[in-house]
Amino acid sequence: MSALRMGRRLPRRTVPRALMALGALVAIGFVAVNVAIGYVVIDGRLDGQWYDVRDLGIGVQELREWLDDRNAQQPGILDFLGQHWISYAVTALLGATGILSIVGGALLILIWVERRLIGRMQIRRGPNRVGPYGLLQPIADAVKLIQKEVLMPRGADKVLFFLPPALIFIPMIVAWGPIPWGAQMAYLDVHVGILFLIAVSSLTTLAIFMAGWSSNNHYALLGAMRTIAMMISYEIPLSIALLSVVLLSGSMQLSTIVEWQSTHNVWLAALLPLAMFTYFFSSTAELNRTPNDIAEAESEIVAGFHTEYSGMKFGLFYAVELGNALFVAALTATLFLGGWSLFGLEEWIPGYLILGAKISAAYFLLVWLRGTLPRFRLDQLMKFAWQFLIPLSLLNLLIVAVEASVFARWEVKGIVSLGLFAIVNWAAAIILVREWARRMGYRPEREAVRQPILTQGVGGLQAARRLGAPEMGTQV
Amino acid sequence: MDSAGIIVAFWLLSAIAVGSAVGVFLARNLIHAVVLLVLSFVATAGLFVTLSADFIAAAQVLIYAGAIPVLMVFAVMLTPLAGRDNGNSLYVVPGVLLGGAFAVIVAIVAIDAEWGAAGAATLAGQSFETTADAIGDALLGRYVLAFEVASVLLLAALIGAIVLVREDEPA
Amino acid sequence: MTAATEPYVLNIGPQHPSTHGVFRLRVVMDGERIQDVEMVVGYLHRSMEKLAEERTYTQNIPFTDRADYLAAMSGNLGYCLAVERLAGVEVPERASYLRVIFAELQRIASHSMANGTFVNDAGAWQTPLMYMFRERERILDLFEMTCGARLTTNYMRIGGVAFDPPEEFYPAIESLVDELPERIEEYAELLVDNEILLARGRGVGIISAEDAINGSLVGPMLRGSGVPWDLRKAEPYCGYDRFDFEIPVGRQGDAYDRFLVRLEEVRQSTKIIRQALDGLPSGPHKTQIPLALRPDPGEAYARVEGPRGELGFYVVSDGGSAPFRFHIRAPSLINLSLLREMAIGASLPDAIVALGSVDIVVGEIDR
Repeated sequence: MSALRMGRRLPRRTVPRALMALGALVAIGFVAVNVAIGYVVIDGRLDGQWYDVRDLGIGVQELREWLDDRNAQQPGILDFLGQHWISYAVTALLGATGILSIVGGALLILIWVERRLIGRMQIRRGPNRVGPYGLLQPIADAVKLIQKEVLMPRGADKVLFFLPPALIFIPMIVAWGPIPWGAQMAYLDVHVGILFLIAVSSLTTLAIFMAGWSSNNHYALLGAMRTIAMMISYEIPLSIALLSVVLLSGSMQLSTIVEWQSTHNVWLAALLPLAMFTYFFSSTAELNRTPNDIAEAESEIVAGFHTEYSGMKFGLFYAVELGNALFVAALTATLFLGGWSLFGLEEWIPGYLILGAKISAAYFLLVWLRGTLPRFRLDQLMKFAWQFLIPLSLLNLLIVAVEASVFARWEVKGIVSLGLFAIVNWAAAIILVREWARRMGYRPEREAVRQPILTQGVGGLQAARRLGAPEMGTQV
Repeated sequence: MDSAGIIVAFWLLSAIAVGSAVGVFLARNLIHAVVLLVLSFVATAGLFVTLSADFIAAAQVLIYAGAIPVLMVFAVMLTPLAGRDNGNSLYVVPGVLLGGAFAVIVAIVAIDAEWGAAGAATLAGQSFETTADAIGDALLGRYVLAFEVASVLLLAALIGAIVLVREDEPA
Repeated sequence: MTAATEPYVLNIGPQHPSTHGVFRLRVVMDGERIQDVEMVVGYLHRSMEKLAEERTYTQNIPFTDRADYLAAMSGNLGYCLAVERLAGVEVPERASYLRVIFAELQRIASHSMANGTFVNDAGAWQTPLMYMFRERERILDLFEMTCGARLTTNYMRIGGVAFDPPEEFYPAIESLVDELPERIEEYAELLVDNEILLARGRGVGIISAEDAINGSLVGPMLRGSGVPWDLRKAEPYCGYDRFDFEIPVGRQGDAYDRFLVRLEEVRQSTKIIRQALDGLPSGPHKTQIPLALRPDPGEAYARVEGPRGELGFYVVSDGGSAPFRFHIRAPSLINLSLLREMAIGASLPDAIVALGSVDIVVGEIDR
């Protein structure tokens, strides 16, 4: 505006040639690595191991052996950074690219899937104009977002406003590391997997806060405050729920937890219903999805912490939101639905397909919630976390701890003890939820109040009194 | 044992940690200082990773990079007068004294410790695969008293905080 | 020791998802709690009442479409009644029946919209709104069939209605009226028993019966507070006394009660339409009036029960072909005036739900 007013011509926005070349190079490299991965997969299929993409692990192992051989023959050329640095570098590059391309590709598809599903739930068609069945809609959206101008509000903190869309992407990508896609098919199978995931996902809070605070906007600040309050509250039941999983399976390593479920032929969802509910509900709170999307409640605070972001910066927040939802679905599938195992069927079907199907099911649940429910109020959610979820999950943890120690010592293992635990836990979950809800003052008998009074006559205040209208200032 | 990769990682992470720590007290903006502090903590977590202490690294990220800054940020956000200015502090002299004393202690420990003793010979027989198990065993076995005392202390702090911020009941 | 806080000012609107148009709330907030609300209106002012003084009586009917654009039929009806009263025009029986049918269809369409946006304001992600749109679409199709327009119908005329509905109108409205009760039960099942909606709506934005009368609230706002007042019963026009229907009245006067009242009014409207269809007489649909109607000098006020409440039209004639003065008593504006009382002390989400339960149409507030 000011440039126009002063009579100057608006400067044309140009992208430096070097930057474009760099971008093209990165894109070509990205495609090349993906082609390489695809080749490994297809090659593996030709070798008869068509369902197994542990090839990454095997390939790195082979590379390492090759390096050792080479070292024995001609030492000192390649190991100036340590013995196996090439194998580490290759693993890191391949794994990171793999995660990025799988999650990125899934995000593109998810935008379409979610919009189609929500459209169906809302008796309309959803995107159906761009490409066959509207499949190219996400790409059209992305192109539109990239073309849009990126605005920065006056008085915004420039550095802190610039960083969050990029920063918030990091935990979303890193968190995918420990998810096992099959036997030995986790990129980063850390020993403290669950702790790692909780730690990494807690970093999102800071990026959200930075976005909200730096925008110099009351809506954004309110959104940031709400996010932080929610995250602080819901991280506790979430962690306790995950802790009960750790107690029963005896490990924090995700691959071990999946193997535990595989060897005992049981899904933890059957054993720990309350923990699964707690985890899922708390996750929706951390994800800002309905019914808990108070941090970006559209009808109240417009878009919460990312109110002031436009163009692709907004697009990044949107993508991260979807990616996190997908991640929660993946973790639910891994921890509670048996991960890549399916009662022996994983011998015949590739593990990543099984996990993909389970992720889709869990994700569908999230979309369904979003398409169905209204939103809670902030104080109601806080109350729910502190007065309902935390005590219940603590009690649940106590029960699970007893069961875990019984399980470790009891001779009769397998179907008997686990079946007993399942019955006990389901009964405990139902009783606990019912009784605690009653204790908190929930009375389902309020049914009668949900109908208005019907009358034929009309009148003023007297008639209202006769019909039992509330007195002035009465508290209901 | 120490490969060049580890050494490079160590120096890189140390530089980030120290650099951002210096940035914390040079930054004029309080929020910037908090963000730099988080960067310092994350770099420290990286240092733990280079030592194969994955449990402590994850705990470091969870508590120091995830939880504590949120507390600070809350404090900054809820006190409008503190605003964005990280101006001159009243506590420059005590701060310098405290920092100096801490530096001296660290230096004495660094000089005094027998670094070789914790070298390959001691660690050769131990497995690094399961730091979480080892920490759990130690905390709930040998050091259970200290662990319980710490938990009681934290509980007392929790109750104290609630008592302090509770609004006075109307008489 | 307590934490001291400072209030700040938050501008809600003129562009905000929950203001349902260009309307602004200047809110003084302490954290999430509202200390004061100032309502700023006038962004949509089109000077309707002044423009009307330059046009003939018939030419003014389209203005009433655009005042409350979600209930154009009710606006048409109220204005035509006022001019008929002024000029002493008799309306044929069939026209009265058609007017009732279309006014009640409009009420269903408007209440569907109101309830849908109310649930939207309570945080549902568009789904109830889309369901409500399903019935509203069919009603708008009926309007289109009859008068060629969906939203700004311009259907009623001084002395009757503009067109007799075409042949295909009758099967369409029959099937709609047959299906509506089923649909309403479906919505009731989905929404009335929804615990989250109950938690968000109960006890929010309470107005006592006394306050409602003192604030001269009308329509579902007034009935939600427990006052049984409906012009269709109290002062029947267009032969409403021929139809059997009941007035729903709220128990507690909160946002949820207004929602329930609107839902029940849709049921009752369906009943009225059914009766009107069954008793629809044949005959002319319009009385002939002179092209340039020149009523004798005088004044007239007519009021109808629109979807948002008592919609009044005040017309003064000086004997010319244009009204000397034209005034609309807009229910949205009056109903909105109690938002301040509802919002102070409430939290921001509650205030938004309270605003959603008022069901404002900004075109009518600003005129």
